[in-house]
Amino acid sequence: MYLFDAEIIENRRLADDISSLRLEARPEFVKAGSAGRFVMLASADERLDPLLKRPFGIVRCGRGWFEVVIKEAGKGSRNLAGLRAGVRVAVHGPLGNGYPELEKDGRPLVLVAGGIGIASIASVVFSRNFDPAALLFGAARAGELVLLEELKKTGGGRLEVAAITDDGSSGRRGLVTELLEEKLEKWSDARVFACGPGPMLQSVQRVLQARGVEGWLSLENRMACGFGVCLGCVQEMRAGVRAKVCTDGPVLVAGEVVF
Amino acid sequence: MTDLKVELLPGLTLANPVLTASGTFGYGREYSPYIDISSLGAVVTKGLSLAPRAGNPGVRITETACGMLNAIGLENIGIERFLKEELPFLRDSGAVVVVNFFGNSQAEYAELAARLDGVDGIAALEINISCPNVKAGGIQFGTDPGSAAELVGAVRAKTSLPLITKLSPNVTDIVTMARAVVEAGSDALSLINTLLGMAVDLQTGRPVLGNLTGGLSGPAIKPVALRMVYQVVQALPEIPVIGIGGIVCAEDALEFLLLGARAVQIGTANFIDPRTAIAVIAGMDKFLSARGYEKVTDFIGTLKPGR
Repeated sequence: MYLFDAEIIENRRLADDISSLRLEARPEFVKAGSAGRFVMLASADERLDPLLKRPFGIVRCGRGWFEVVIKEAGKGSRNLAGLRAGVRVAVHGPLGNGYPELEKDGRPLVLVAGGIGIASIASVVFSRNFDPAALLFGAARAGELVLLEELKKTGGGRLEVAAITDDGSSGRRGLVTELLEEKLEKWSDARVFACGPGPMLQSVQRVLQARGVEGWLSLENRMACGFGVCLGCVQEMRAGVRAKVCTDGPVLVAGEVVF
Repeated sequence: MTDLKVELLPGLTLANPVLTASGTFGYGREYSPYIDISSLGAVVTKGLSLAPRAGNPGVRITETACGMLNAIGLENIGIERFLKEELPFLRDSGAVVVVNFFGNSQAEYAELAARLDGVDGIAALEINISCPNVKAGGIQFGTDPGSAAELVGAVRAKTSLPLITKLSPNVTDIVTMARAVVEAGSDALSLINTLLGMAVDLQTGRPVLGNLTGGLSGPAIKPVALRMVYQVVQALPEIPVIGIGGIVCAEDALEFLLLGARAVQIGTANFIDPRTAIAVIAGMDKFLSARGYEKVTDFIGTLKPGR
């Protein structure tokens, strides 16, 4: 992992409270920034409030840059989302384990995103080849289905995309786990990657368990450091084991997480 | 270049007065990808107990204005695993190691002190009598001068290692606490531990932390820490004091030294950037060199009288 100050190349608003930041990165960072890993970010000036860096999934990397997608959930994320192109940001990363590299055995992959969990899930679409695969995206309302068009374009004919919202504003009303149930009905040998809020991941876990489907969950627990020392993000796992979401995760085997 | 060496205690001279605070530096190993931990004044380990501890359930941290609340609950791997799996790494790294420890009872504190006595690679012990996040032990010893003195006396009887007692700020009179543990045999003092605090969530109508309350740390508590260090140094000028509380840069650390702290510990700022302690050492040298100090000890305790 690396510690550096990076200039914001572009700050693009995706929704009322969701922004995409494209930041400078060195080639060695880009090389290490595989799907599902994350960075800790704070503005690079010497401010004391907000104080701690905040974790964000690396959505994608390009030549000399990487992208994060920020939902404004508190003062830390609000502060970062408000920074303009040219401003410098303190970066620590890439951190965490990322999604596992799966055997190319023809089994389908189902990607499940809830809300801003799309930032993590999108990294899989942007960086990996797969066949066949489906992206199931649930959000509160249509405006929060960010990156959807780009993801459809990137996935092309090999990625089925379905969206669902709490208020029905994108067409179908309901929870993303309904889409997952339907998909697994047809693809019983699929593997699943999921990222989203805790209650959603818990529902995904139940669906996987009921059907005996293999899956991985990317968790969003609060953390102060991101490199295994604060113990703020510790997650209870099966058999009395505890995982540090920052260094053992954020991607954990679905069946082992205890909610 | 200013000579940053400080004699913390007779027989314990540190290369510089910058230590890392317990609970913010893991067992040292986690920082070795970022810095040379042997260049620190000392590494203070995560607090250790006899048996491993799982810590508290639920949300454990939340940021507050210029600070953070934590309610980790002293999660740690326990003394035996530490000695077997972590201490050898620290010893090989060349770091000066201060072991922070705590128990659920006076007997446990004494047993830990006995277990750590004479172990190769440990420079000093720091007794945690002040964690606000555990029900048994911890702060109950840290807020009553009689219990604290009895506890320190029991530990003192079991070890020949230098003893540092880490004091809680959650008391009416810090000097009474300081005096009590020094009289019971503590060689040095470190202060302050976190201040008891709380955060509530208006959206959910509930406390933010799983433990309901937590320990406040970070720049928000620096003025409280400075005041308490000042009071203790004034009352007990012969006793080495390590200042802790909200240090994020060299200037913060120098403020504690100016008051008379012989060393400092960096805590929360390690989370923001794992290189912070190294930057503080460099900045301290730069500040003192620019002002012509040959030795940091010429600067320590030079606070001028107020007007």
